[in-house]
Amino acid sequence: MLRVDESLPADFAGNWQRDYVRGDDAGNVLNKQLYSLSRTVPDTQYSGSPGMPGATGLSPRKRDALIAVARLAEMITRPDTLTILQSDNEITVERDEDFAIFCGFYNGEAKATSTPYGSEICGWDGDNLVSLLQLPDGLSVMHRFTVSDDGQQLRIITTVDSKTSPAPFSLSRFYRRFEPAGSEFNCVETLSKKRVCSTGDLDL
Amino acid sequence: MPTTLARISLALALMTAAAIMPLHAMTTTERPALNVSIAVFDPGVPDDPSLHRELLIFPRIRHIEASLLPFALRNALSATRQWGAVRVVPRIDPAAELLIGGRINQSDGNTLELQITATDASGDIWIDRPYAGTSLETIFESVARDLGKHLQQLSDKQTTDIIRISLLRYAEQVAPSAFAGYLQEEGGRYSILRLPALDDPMVERIERVRGTDYAITDIVDERFEELHEEIASVYELWREYRGKLDVYQQQDLDRVSRSGAVGDDGSYEAILRIYENYKWDRIAVQEQDKLARAFDNEVGPVIDEMEYRVGRLEGLIEQKYAEWQRILEELFEVETGFGDLPAD
Repeated sequence: MLRVDESLPADFAGNWQRDYVRGDDAGNVLNKQLYSLSRTVPDTQYSGSPGMPGATGLSPRKRDALIAVARLAEMITRPDTLTILQSDNEITVERDEDFAIFCGFYNGEAKATSTPYGSEICGWDGDNLVSLLQLPDGLSVMHRFTVSDDGQQLRIITTVDSKTSPAPFSLSRFYRRFEPAGSEFNCVETLSKKRVCSTGDLDL
Repeated sequence: MPTTLARISLALALMTAAAIMPLHAMTTTERPALNVSIAVFDPGVPDDPSLHRELLIFPRIRHIEASLLPFALRNALSATRQWGAVRVVPRIDPAAELLIGGRINQSDGNTLELQITATDASGDIWIDRPYAGTSLETIFESVARDLGKHLQQLSDKQTTDIIRISLLRYAEQVAPSAFAGYLQEEGGRYSILRLPALDDPMVERIERVRGTDYAITDIVDERFEELHEEIASVYELWREYRGKLDVYQQQDLDRVSRSGAVGDDGSYEAILRIYENYKWDRIAVQEQDKLARAFDNEVGPVIDEMEYRVGRLEGLIEQKYAEWQRILEELFEVETGFGDLPAD
């Protein structure tokens, strides 16, 4: 992970809408990976078994573990829209039905978010923003954000891994920048009055 | 072109005479009440912005609390009827008879911890300690009790001296040439070396200047009071919501620690549970961000408007202060003939 001493290397701020034409199909990726692993990964359950010296293949347990991380990756990458807020020090990726990914960079260093349930940290790989979530039992979720040169497209590669899975599982998702439809109302959330809207200036 | 004396007379005539205890009217047999100035609190926001999220500190909210909380303290002190005027002032006045400062160490819906200091004009520190509790009333009643105890221990002469020192320190700030040499300062402690002559006209002028200063401060104070009334209920709501979220997070932590594993190791159910535990914890924290934004949306415009108005009044005070300083120095020069004398 790189130090960030000046402005952040890329600008992700904006509203992003899923581009369903592009991106991986989770089922296809899983099938390919299962096929590939079944041909290349020596499985301790089979290797050394009488009559099957050096056999390759996946045990049902490992197969299930890979399917589990694939299902989790598919679930995590489901949001149709993203709202990314970016300041000089922070990037927040707001997602429907999930927590917002938070990246903080202060004094040239990434700041981790640590909780009793796991920790989250971001870094840069060139212009790519990489967010790594480390959870108990060796479970990890990594997102790699890449914005196109014209700033109109966003690719996110999400990789989920666990200690029981024979390999990490990755899915690519593509998003296009969009401007939310304008409204004739100005609305803000308040504490005592909840959502307050007005056609003119808000008078709270 | 008005003469210096005419300008001075005009300026002094504009000054409002206010109820300032004259230096020589005080006898040691009387026990006048001390005036209290409560400075707007230090929000206690760490300089390092990376700590704000970690400590769940919302700088804007702390800033609002720093303006609001002194009023709760003022109400608690006023209720004891042991004090003279109790004012909330936008800046620290070292010449205050009793100056109270505060720093917010912790403020969430459940716990409020404040570092409170109280120092009188002689430099005597009455209290300097943290106060913590769950309700503002309990904390500030506790502060009021401690201050009351200290007040009871003062002799009448000590009280009178504090008031005299306060006025002389103020006078020294406004007209340093005329009031140099009345006080001795050693290690932040002030004592009276001598008092001005009974008929010293400068003393009366200083008292009138201070009266005006107080009158303007009272206007600022009224603005702060309006602010307090306007946003106090929203602030209570904010504390209530934050408190509930803290409780929810604690309950969630307990639930997770009590619940066992779900499904086989590495199964979808097992890893989903691990992911969701993190997810809901983060959502709870991020909900606090939303609450903070909602609170700021609601009270921010009020605060901004109030700060603008208070800023204008403070500007007026500073402008007047500089003017008084210049006039009084000029007057002292005219009356005594001592100006900037050559060293030899």
